[in-house]
Amino acid sequence: MKRSKSSFEWRKVTESKLFFPLVALALILLFDLIFIPTFFHITFQQGHLYGSLIDILRNSMPVVALAIGMTLVIATGGVDLSVGAIMAIVSSVAALLMNPFVLGTQLQAIKNNPTYSYSPFWVVILLPLIVATICGLWNGLLVAHGKIQPMVATLILMISGRGIAQLITNSQKIQIFYGPFRYIGNGWILLPFSLFIVVFLYVLAWLLTRRTAIGLFIESVGINSRSSLFSGIDEKKIKLFAYVFCGFCAGIAGLIATSNISTSDATSLGLNTELDAILAVVIGGTLLGAGGRFSLLASAIGGLVMQAVTTSMYAIGVSANSLLAVKGVVVILIILLYAQQVQGLIRKITGRTKLKETKP
Amino acid sequence: MMQNLSTLFSKNRRLLPLSATIILFFIAYAVGAAYLPGMRDTQVFLNLFNQTPYLLVSVIGETLVVISGGIDLSVGGMVALTTTASAALLRASWNPWVVMPLMLAMGATMGAIMGYFITYLNVQPFIATLAGMWIGRGLAYFISNESIVINDRIYTLLDRTKILIPGLSNVVTQKGDYITPSVVIAMAVFVAANYIAHYTRFGRTIYSIGGANGANEQSARLMGLPVNRTKVLVYTFNGFCSALAGIFLSIYTRSGQGLLGNGMELTVIAAVVIGGTSLIGGEGYVFGALFGVLITILIQTMIQIQGHLITWWTLIMVGVITLFFIGLQSVIANLKIGQIAGTKVSREKRIRQVLLYGGGAALVIVLAVLAFAVLPNATHGSANAAASTSRACQPKPFRPDQAASLMKAGAVISYERNGGANCIDELYAIYPDGRITGDNGTQQIEKQVTSDDVDRLLSFISNAGWFTDNMFSTSHVPCKVCYTYFTSVAYKGQEKTVEAVDGGTDAPPEYWLVTGQFSMIVPIFGPAP
Repeated sequence: MKRSKSSFEWRKVTESKLFFPLVALALILLFDLIFIPTFFHITFQQGHLYGSLIDILRNSMPVVALAIGMTLVIATGGVDLSVGAIMAIVSSVAALLMNPFVLGTQLQAIKNNPTYSYSPFWVVILLPLIVATICGLWNGLLVAHGKIQPMVATLILMISGRGIAQLITNSQKIQIFYGPFRYIGNGWILLPFSLFIVVFLYVLAWLLTRRTAIGLFIESVGINSRSSLFSGIDEKKIKLFAYVFCGFCAGIAGLIATSNISTSDATSLGLNTELDAILAVVIGGTLLGAGGRFSLLASAIGGLVMQAVTTSMYAIGVSANSLLAVKGVVVILIILLYAQQVQGLIRKITGRTKLKETKP
Repeated sequence: MMQNLSTLFSKNRRLLPLSATIILFFIAYAVGAAYLPGMRDTQVFLNLFNQTPYLLVSVIGETLVVISGGIDLSVGGMVALTTTASAALLRASWNPWVVMPLMLAMGATMGAIMGYFITYLNVQPFIATLAGMWIGRGLAYFISNESIVINDRIYTLLDRTKILIPGLSNVVTQKGDYITPSVVIAMAVFVAANYIAHYTRFGRTIYSIGGANGANEQSARLMGLPVNRTKVLVYTFNGFCSALAGIFLSIYTRSGQGLLGNGMELTVIAAVVIGGTSLIGGEGYVFGALFGVLITILIQTMIQIQGHLITWWTLIMVGVITLFFIGLQSVIANLKIGQIAGTKVSREKRIRQVLLYGGGAALVIVLAVLAFAVLPNATHGSANAAASTSRACQPKPFRPDQAASLMKAGAVISYERNGGANCIDELYAIYPDGRITGDNGTQQIEKQVTSDDVDRLLSFISNAGWFTDNMFSTSHVPCKVCYTYFTSVAYKGQEKTVEAVDGGTDAPPEYWLVTGQFSMIVPIFGPAP
């Protein structure tokens, strides 16, 4: 009796949204445990924790922030390809606000001066976020009111956004010396400071979707937008909200990434990051193209999985460029876990044990 | 009369995006030719084709995939893999006639595998081809982290061969307007793909699968059409096309590296949309692919000939044009619904939609123009103001005597740049100790870099094949706003001078890499006194 009960719970566990991302993360960490002995060492240096695991946390923050916004968009049945371009725009705007002279000749004077910024700190943070939110609004308008396919609608900003970002900085890389801004991505309070920002973002998203009805509305729009329209949900507003929020998240991710490398780089900042974020969401079990039920936590873990793969591969000495191939294979493997055939197999295994034990 | 016109219009509304594309192309070309004298040269028009065989082939493949209701992001990755793999094999002195079919087979196999994943394991096309893109590019870097130069005779021959156009060229002197062999092959693929799409059972099945969010695929399945086989074949064909594109690109650049084709999937998808194919699937013409590519390249060419080689303007313009076509498609899609309902409401909706797009596009353009007008002026001063006034510039003659005397005085590089939108005439000399002097006729300028920088530059130039037969002077002058270059380099006892004109000449790609290095190192002249 006891055993059959436990197997019943086991089945419940496998059907949870968190199960597969956690399994994937565990598999990667298991790989690290076997092949990279020093991977789990965490030491205390210069007032903060230090080690590969902390590295994963720190480097995955932009993708996790993107994944939080992307989850809502994908849950409505859409997708946002433009987040990488929005990150680049945010980076250019922020850099220009701090140091507009860089386009001229007065760079030397303010080099290595951590207290100098042309605009006050709150403007440097707020204005880029507003710009990012407007970008999200643009996507949302095209998708919700223009009734354009999300993939196409956001493709427009994905292509022209990077152009706009390069236009803003005249295609120059702008180094950032301003201390408070650098703290966003490089600061530590025992753990990386960016972690706290993203946790705050996560809590905000969680409160918005799970403590109000918005989360439920998003899911119902994703599952069947027509019937949710008939049951009185304003589908357009919900979609608009999802894209605007996604733009905002991209803004935060852009600030963190820019601060992390202390350089505004319109050409390559956030390049292909949208793909990482989408994969993080897919690993988190939200269905791309279909939408419906979502789990913010699962997406966040998906983001960690993506970064864990990268960090482990660096640790065993795969070069940055060939890493893409490994990442591709890992993606295929993880996605195969979700394929119906494999899911059926897993159900069969967990289900069969249940059958066997309940028979006698 | 009105009635007839509207029936004609609604009967042929499928042709609307395509005809809009074709009309836009010709209008854009006419406007370009009117304002930029360089565009009137027939060779510049033919170069639209000469630059694009690789893009055209991959857009054809992608169009079929999109019509079948899927999407393929792996194009760029496959191109990178093909160029690197073929360059590596050729370096190992394989026969090029073995390498090319092998590459095509590899591309088709990769496509088939992705198609299998999509069809039989129900993986989203987006995800499966994304993995394909990463694996392709990753493997390319796995083969080699650096660029591999292709020195193969056949590849060189395919790159250098000019198929002269009868009537526009002189066959005896081998001069005049030409296209390359790659263009001929790409056009053959284009014709074949058109035939496949419209005159075979396979093509009809592709059309029947796409559209209506998978519902049409269900219907096709119920009709007994071989849906699975067709889908796998479509991805296989696109894999083949990507590999062919990779071969064209390796012929064009005569090198292979993992960076080639970076971001190409975006350009390709945008070109598919501009070509009038609906990304929902089920609608569109392979014929549109040609014009989608031509418009994309036309924008690039116009921006280049205009004088400032600014890549981001190309990006923004492609984005705006994509928006325009998507708006058009969505209006047409709504027309169908409007016909069924035929009410006032739908009309209001349509007007609101048109306003939304019009307003949006206008906003983007205004923002872009504002940024363009304000920012560069802050940086380059009056330089850009001159650009808008003096469109046609008579390039001043080179100053070879002065260059020779500079070289005699110990300079290792003399570099003269004339013409352009600002009608400049600048002569720079770079000395081995890192001193750089510039002279534009009215003022002198000087800059100091380290001697290491100069060494690095010199070895770069030498490695780019400056002293080989690959670098040759070209003096074809099609364009009055292009830059003309007169460059002498002395290195390890060798000295060589090469003249070239940008915008529609046949100087080798390495030449432009070298020119790019120069423009990075030389000092910038301030506004004229």
